[in-house]
Amino acid sequence: MAARNALLKYLRVNATPVLQSSSVRNPRVVGGGVIQLFRRHFSEEVRGSFLDKSEVTDRVVTCVKNFQKVDPSKVTPTAHFQNDLGLDSLDTVEVVMALEEEFGFEIPDTEADKISSINHAVDFIASHPQAK
Amino acid sequence: MATAVPPPTRTEIISLFRSLLRSAREFSDYNIREYTKRRTIDSFRDNKTLSDPSSIAAAFTDGKSQLQVAKRQAVVYSLYAPKVKSIMDIKP
Repeated sequence: MAARNALLKYLRVNATPVLQSSSVRNPRVVGGGVIQLFRRHFSEEVRGSFLDKSEVTDRVVTCVKNFQKVDPSKVTPTAHFQNDLGLDSLDTVEVVMALEEEFGFEIPDTEADKISSINHAVDFIASHPQAK
Repeated sequence: MATAVPPPTRTEIISLFRSLLRSAREFSDYNIREYTKRRTIDSFRDNKTLSDPSSIAAAFTDGKSQLQVAKRQAVVYSLYAPKVKSIMDIKP
């Protein structure tokens, strides 16, 4: 026991001056650590952020234009998938899946079933914090 | 056998289609991922004109078993994922 205490004391004494001298020589190390501590409070991924609506509109329109069955000239920010673009229910599912890939998040089935126009998709994505 | 099963509703069919497409995304290999997606879309299109309730039910049951196969294979293939990425996966 005594030997163990002696050993621990020996180690402690040895370590303290090293730490002090390094922080005195380079005070920035401590400052950086504090800033990192604050920054790490919320990770960007968990918190998420809302995307700008005009940016979402642009990306959705581009994404739908890339869909092979769609006539790109017909795609407008207000187009309805079935009425204006002539897509059927299966195509609509494909478009929504493509949007999921574009914005990197999963749209729940109940919400995905409701998306029937570009307007609706933009509204949903812009109100979703996980979209990127 | 198949006639006893009530035909699936439109929502159920759409949901199966979406589940198949979702499971297709799980494959790590580009070729298998694209094949599963293409195969799903093509067979749903092929069966679009079915009107007989029993054949719709049969196609639906077949689709459900294919979904189980896709889910299982996605897990199996993930254990033997190719070490080299397909050139199609590399973003410019």
